[in-house]
Amino acid sequence: MSFVVSPTSVDEAIAFLVDNPEARPMSGGASLVAMKNARLIEASHFVSLARIDSLRGIRRNADGSVTIGGMVPHRDTAACDLLDGDLRMIRQAAGQIANRVVRNMGTIGGAVANADPAADYLPVLVCADAQVEITGPGGKRLLPIRDYLVDWYETALEPAEIVTGIALPPAGSGPSVYRKLARTPGDFATVSVACARDGDGVRVAVGACGPAPLRAPEAERALAGQLDDPAAVAAFCEALVALADPVDDVRGSAEYRLTLIPRMVAAAIRDVTGGL
Amino acid sequence: MSTAFDIPAGTAVGKSTPKLENREKVTGRAEYIDDLYRPGMLHAAILGSPYPHARILSYDVSEALAAPGVVGVITGDDVPDGRMGAFIKDEHALAKGKVLYLGEPVAAIAAETLEQARAAVNLIIVDYEELPAVLSPEEGLAPDAPILHEKLKDYIKVFDAGSEGNLCSRTELTEGNVDAAWDRCAVIVEDEFETEPQAHVSLEPCGALAEVDAQGRVTLWSANQSVFRVQANVCESLQIPMSKLRSLTPRVGAGFGNKMEPHIQPITVALAMKTGRPVKCILTREEDFEIVRARHPFKIRMKTGADAQGRLIARDCEVLLDCGAFADDSPGVLGYALLMSGGPYRIPNQRARGKLVYTNKLRFGAYRGFGNPQVSFAGEQQIDEIAQKLGLDPIEIRRRNMLHEGDGWFVGPKIASNGLARCIDAVEAASGWRKGLQPPATPGTRRGKGIAVSAHISGLLGTGAIVRMLEDGTIALNTGATDIGQGSDTVLAQICAEALKLPVEMVSVASPDTDGSPYNWGTTASRVTYTTGRAVAGAAREVLRQAMEHASEMLDTPVEDLELREGGRIAVKGSNEDLPFAAISGRAHWAKGGPIVGHHTLVFDEPTHDPKRSIALGLPFPQIGVFSFGALIVDVEVDEVTGQTRVVEAWSAVDVGRAINPRLVEVQIEGGFVQGMGFALYEAMVWDGPRLVNPSLMDYKIPTSADTPHVHSIIVEDPEPNGPFGAKGAGEIGLNPVPAAIANALSAAIGGRARKVPMTPERVLNQLLEGGDAA
Amino acid sequence: MAGKEVFALRINGREREVFARSDATLLEVLRDDLALRAAKRGCNQGVCGACTVLLDGVPVRGCLTLAGACTGREVTTLEGLAEDPITRALQETMIVSGGVQCGFCTSGMLVTARDLVAQTVTPTEGDIRKALSGNLCRCTGYVRIVEAVTDAVVALSQANTDTREAIQ
Repeated sequence: MSFVVSPTSVDEAIAFLVDNPEARPMSGGASLVAMKNARLIEASHFVSLARIDSLRGIRRNADGSVTIGGMVPHRDTAACDLLDGDLRMIRQAAGQIANRVVRNMGTIGGAVANADPAADYLPVLVCADAQVEITGPGGKRLLPIRDYLVDWYETALEPAEIVTGIALPPAGSGPSVYRKLARTPGDFATVSVACARDGDGVRVAVGACGPAPLRAPEAERALAGQLDDPAAVAAFCEALVALADPVDDVRGSAEYRLTLIPRMVAAAIRDVTGGL
Repeated sequence: MSTAFDIPAGTAVGKSTPKLENREKVTGRAEYIDDLYRPGMLHAAILGSPYPHARILSYDVSEALAAPGVVGVITGDDVPDGRMGAFIKDEHALAKGKVLYLGEPVAAIAAETLEQARAAVNLIIVDYEELPAVLSPEEGLAPDAPILHEKLKDYIKVFDAGSEGNLCSRTELTEGNVDAAWDRCAVIVEDEFETEPQAHVSLEPCGALAEVDAQGRVTLWSANQSVFRVQANVCESLQIPMSKLRSLTPRVGAGFGNKMEPHIQPITVALAMKTGRPVKCILTREEDFEIVRARHPFKIRMKTGADAQGRLIARDCEVLLDCGAFADDSPGVLGYALLMSGGPYRIPNQRARGKLVYTNKLRFGAYRGFGNPQVSFAGEQQIDEIAQKLGLDPIEIRRRNMLHEGDGWFVGPKIASNGLARCIDAVEAASGWRKGLQPPATPGTRRGKGIAVSAHISGLLGTGAIVRMLEDGTIALNTGATDIGQGSDTVLAQICAEALKLPVEMVSVASPDTDGSPYNWGTTASRVTYTTGRAVAGAAREVLRQAMEHASEMLDTPVEDLELREGGRIAVKGSNEDLPFAAISGRAHWAKGGPIVGHHTLVFDEPTHDPKRSIALGLPFPQIGVFSFGALIVDVEVDEVTGQTRVVEAWSAVDVGRAINPRLVEVQIEGGFVQGMGFALYEAMVWDGPRLVNPSLMDYKIPTSADTPHVHSIIVEDPEPNGPFGAKGAGEIGLNPVPAAIANALSAAIGGRARKVPMTPERVLNQLLEGGDAA
Repeated sequence: MAGKEVFALRINGREREVFARSDATLLEVLRDDLALRAAKRGCNQGVCGACTVLLDGVPVRGCLTLAGACTGREVTTLEGLAEDPITRALQETMIVSGGVQCGFCTSGMLVTARDLVAQTVTPTEGDIRKALSGNLCRCTGYVRIVEAVTDAVVALSQANTDTREAIQ
């Protein structure tokens, strides 16, 4: 049997994964094949999801929520008008992933499944309170992304499950912003910050400073109504710093990342408040 | 100023002729090493050492040999005890007896497919006795340090290296009396500087293909900067007579020093000899990072003093270089860096000393700039600091101190042509430079301009050219110089065409071949246009002499009454009577005197060291070359939130004597700038203990089109008296001043001083927060 | 050879039968089995862009695409764009601009640039620099590559005007 199979339905894909425990689902291949080439992964089969039509497209649901199909490439997400207001940061993040050519290949489902802590999607999705739509042998389930992300490169995905979509709450009026520091355009983030205006407060998620994006809901509540108070913003930033568990790597030291969190978060808050 | 050819450029020189091979490159038909295939060809894979320093006790290759598709395995037992090296012959074809760095090739496999070779390589069992490792030059110099090369004293060396223990080489250069000079200085600056290793990242990874014929003679194709250095290295390490190995080159996917000395060629040849089949070995990108070579990390202590008018009085420079496991080009880099450590200035009292120390790491070696960017980073910042302390404009202090035509360079070389003043004028005017006037920064950023100047040699070692006039009067040029993409084939054809007053299309350029090409040390040291160009001009002159003799008989006119005319014709002076080359050459193939073949060889032969003015110990280049000059201004913007630095715009002027092909010179300036910008801002190979942690383009980043500025390249022409049509080198000088200019611009933007390269966002943010607003 | 199978790929407008592992990369199959070697292996990680080819008309990385996932789809390499007017315009401007040095990045650069020019009416310097940021060049510093794309756009629009005028 071929090492690459291309099912045309989610059920078919899952059935194959159940029958072949050493097989791996493959979306755009941008990360997975790179890992295969580097001999970091092995698989009995690669189950390409590219021909499953139900995984395509970004749609607005009746309740105003937005669902991005698992196989939607970054190129399409970056250009999607449905992602406006406080969801606009998702477009910004998608448009900063790798480069024009890789954005034709990589998909949101693949990126979320891979869950690289320095990848661009995670902080914006955590900031947007996205839910991950997972389909497996037991059917479909929706999991808040913060519950989905378990540890360094570890997610709640069970064997034979795939990320079939990302569900976003109805867009608020925003604004929102994605700020990223990277060594060169297209590199993974050294630190990234997603920030959305939410009433008289903000939601903030910080990427690349721990196994999953940092989010401090209590501190967000405490900050509400005080966005123009530098002391309150500083206290808020400190709450995020306290959650951070950064590493030293080629993109920057842990210490630098800790220095950047308050600086980048404060800047992002300024971005969405228009300098209140 | 008189030049080798006093002919005004007309036919070919001074024109931006598109490179001769461009069409095959834009159609994807150019063949690089990985595009070559031979019947029955095997594929190779390499086993790297898991230890930085260990004795090899034994090998067991039985399981690997039995694996599917495997045809042959080689280990250190299969290669002779020959050692190769440019300056110190310290390197085997393959680890033998000991391994000296993590990843060093210890064995290799040839198999029917690449997959099979890679699968089998891990089946080779090597038994090691691990030894303590030396991971820094300081550790290497410690009294009780483990010794890498126990037989260092016995190795063949091409100069007085002073090798001892882990000290690979040392160089000391002195002029005037530095210690006595400080008292006369009104301003003294002193500091320590560090630069990190840069990877070459030629887009094409290194590779080789070798084949042994029925007579046992080897044919070797490889990605290289010199087919002759490949031949010498393979033959030295495998103890093959040089006449038994033919070294060839396909198109080369760039070389910035990484392909000058050996990479995988000796191992590939050993596998071909072992298996009797053609073997191709192409490194993965990761291997290319791990086992080829890289730019040296430098530790520099520098002290510079000037009088109250800003005239430089003394400089003292001390450097410590990590050599890595093998000498390679490192002794040259040390010596050259010290020679350039004063910069293009008149400094009456100068001292430069340095040590090069073996460590258990990948060898460091030649990289565009050859030590000059590192010492310039220190030196050019100190010039700015002195200017700042004296309230002088950075350009003014450089004008007051710069060397002029006829001056001697540090330790002795005479400067013939010098367009530095014009380079400075050019960038000053183009960039709108004004003291204290900086462009407005966008909100959240700080902005500043900086300048740095540089000089670089072109010259060195043997080169030659053979020019043949074919029966139809067209020309076959053969120089042995590998065109690595910079366009030397085109430039040399232009020189040849100009000398013979022919259209460049009439000149064909032979691919380098050790069987048929005259010796060429290599495409390195910014030397091909200048040295090989001289050889081409000399060979063309000889062709002309022979053609004139034939024409003299044909026209029944004495040679002195003949002249060369445009279009390749020899004419009777003051007359319409002439002969085309076709008629002359056609006859020459039958007539007395014979076919027209000109050749010319040379080495650059003016001494580096003038013993009357200086003392030099351990100088690796007795004759070095002529000097090109350059000036660079950059405009940078620093993000106040992150410290990330962006170069907004750059103006780079270079004196190349004469631009044989102006567009190709501009691209050298622009490409050199961007490579220097990567080095200055973020490129760094990082080791965790003995292990290189970022051997991939995911983790090691080079500049992209989106984070590089528009570079304004400006050509200045101050003809070099003995250069071909006045030309001198352009390959490296555009890179040299980049880290220094960016550091000076950063200082203008945020205050403080950069002491380390790369100037990462992290370091710049610290400079901004600490150094803060000093300016 | 272990795991090899016969399958068909549509490449440069022709049906090609290959005998390879289906999880070989498209780049491997193009280069090793089909002798289409314009696409280069520079990193095998999708970073350098030297292997960029078109899949159903969209630029992708040959090294990150599994050959077995390309059956029934249209693969186009630089060789297959020989008659494409945009590619030809870019090739001519690259030849004269100095945007070609060692040439190892050139094939991939042209495939990406062609996509930009096909999708964008008059790309600015910023658009071009952004679009090409996934195609690394270590030689030129990009200045002349950007210039070549700009010049090609001008040449193409001039050619379009000429064609329109000829029709009128």
